[in-house]
Parts: sequence; C-alpha cells; structure tokens
Amino acid sequence: MNQPQHGFDEALISGYLDRELTQAEAQRVRLHLEDCAECRATATELAQLKEATMSSEFKIPDDGWDETPRGGASHLLRNAGLLVGLAWIVGMTMWLIWELANDPEALIGLLLVGGFLVSAGLILASVIIDRRRAMKNDKYTKVQK
Amino acid sequence: MGSTVLTMSSAPPAPAAALVSRARRGEADAREELAQKSGDAAYVFALQLTRQPETAKDIAQESVVRFFRALDRFDEGQAVEPWLFSIVRNQVRDHARRETVRRHQSLDAWLEAGGQQAADSEAVDPAVAAERHELQQRVWRAISELSESHREIVALRDYHDLSYREIAAVLSIPEGTVMSRLHAARENLRQILRNER
Repeated sequence: MNQPQHGFDEALISGYLDRELTQAEAQRVRLHLEDCAECRATATELAQLKEATMSSEFKIPDDGWDETPRGGASHLLRNAGLLVGLAWIVGMTMWLIWELANDPEALIGLLLVGGFLVSAGLILASVIIDRRRAMKNDKYTKVQK
Repeated sequence: MGSTVLTMSSAPPAPAAALVSRARRGEADAREELAQKSGDAAYVFALQLTRQPETAKDIAQESVVRFFRALDRFDEGQAVEPWLFSIVRNQVRDHARRETVRRHQSLDAWLEAGGQQAADSEAVDPAVAAERHELQQRVWRAISELSESHREIVALRDYHDLSYREIAAVLSIPEGTVMSRLHAARENLRQILRNER
C-alpha cells in the first residue's frame, strides 16, 4: 500500500520525520527525497500536518482529579444529610399548614417562613435530581473488577 | 523539506518516573501532583479518542483511579506515559462497549470545548498565528474523522510525542507495524484535508 510506482516504501517518510530510522535508512530517504519531487511534496505536507497537530492546545478542566473515588463514609453522610433536610422541609410544611388552619391571622409570618421553606425545598430538590443523575452515571461502581 | 522546523509538543507534561517513585512512598504533595499530571494527560488523550469532553472527563477520572491503584506494580525503569495511555485506551474501549457511542454527535462540542489554540506566544505576526490556528482546527477536525486505530496512533505520536517503541507497547502491536500504520493514518488525514478543499 505504501509502495509507489518507483519502488520506494513511502512509510519510511514517516519514520524519517519521526527520527525513528537508522542512520542508513535516514540517508536512503534523504537521497530519495532529493531526486523525487512527489515524495518531497508528501514529506513537506506531512511535516506541516505533524507540526499543526503537535502545537495544538486543549483546554483542560479545572476541577482537578481524585486519586481515589469518593469513600463510602462520604456517600453515607451526604445521603443522610439529604434525608434529614427532606424530612425537615416536609415536617415544617405540615406544621405551617396546621398553624394556618388554626390561626389565619398568622398569615404574614407564615408567608415569610413559607417562602424560605419553598426556596430551600427547590434547592434541595435540584440537589437530589443532580445526585440521582450522578448515581446513574457513577463509573466508580464499575472500576472495581 | 529539511528546512521544516517542528515545534515542541503542546501536550500536557507527562508525569516523570521520579514523581511516581515519590508518590509510591506516600508523599502527599507528590501524589497530588501525580494525580494532576496524569489526569490532564489522560483527559487530553481520552478527548482525542472519544471526541466528547464529558465522556473524556469521566474516562480520565477512572484512569487516574486505576493508575493509582496499580502504582505499586509500576516498573520504575519504564516510561510513565505508555502505561497511563494503556489504561486510558482500555477505559475508552470499556466505555464504548458499555454505551452506544453517538459518533460525531458531540463533535462541535468537542471542537468548542477542546478549543485548539495556536501556540501564539511565539508568533509575532497575528496573520501567521491566525493561519496556524485555522490549520490546527482543520487538522483536528480531520483527525476526528479517522478510524479509531488511525486516530489513536496519530494522537500518540504527533501530539503526545511517544516513541515507536512506546506506541507499540500502548497499542500491543509489533514495533515494526507502528511506522506503516502511522503512515497510512497520515495519508488518510492528508486525503481528508484534500477532499474538503
């Protein structure tokens, strides 16, 4: 596949560009490139592509990398925190409803506390949604083999 | 031809074997630095193979975990990169097996997030820098169209600057096959770029 009509193995051009040839092979390629305009053009073009590839830069995430997956204790504490938070919101909401039913005059105070509870509940809900999504894609469970 | 000057690779610096030794001895700063360097290198290689930033991030994180888990087995006489890239490559393959890879779907995201940028610092002329930047974008877009085996060998050699021997170790192929496969990959790359003109 790399043997053009003139019998020269073009793959040697790549080896030459990569400085992976023996001295004798490199000399052979140099001599061939002096004589063969087609291979010389190929070599020039490949060198340009190689240069463009190697000088490119990729943006790397800033978050850093953990050498160990998050431990079981951390998972447990986080999930326990979420459950306690959820229970607190449910409990407070029920208490507010109870208070409102028994004392309609406390409406303003209830609205203030209720507004806070609703916003806290929404934030907690978003955290739970993120956690569920993360659990679905949790690769660490598959790392241990 | 002989006048073509190749610049230094812009790949993230690979972790040195000495750093691995210190990390193995449990030095906290060495472990942190090793996690950072190996993660960065793993991320870029995973991104080049998968073309999907989020997937690459997951794979890089998995690779770092595995890399550290196997730290005690590392032969200090060997280069770190082939070992690390073998782990990344296996993770990419595992990932592809687990999920239906939506090829090309995230190509735009990869190009934006990858944001190939010219190494402009040494380019004095903005026009030259812009031209170089455009060529880099075209080349990486073309690389993303190569087959997996061609894409990985071009990334390993031309971006991560691995020797043929190291590439052979990562890809588990004979050293003699590296040059011919690499040349075929570069020829395909050249063809893709020609066709888009």
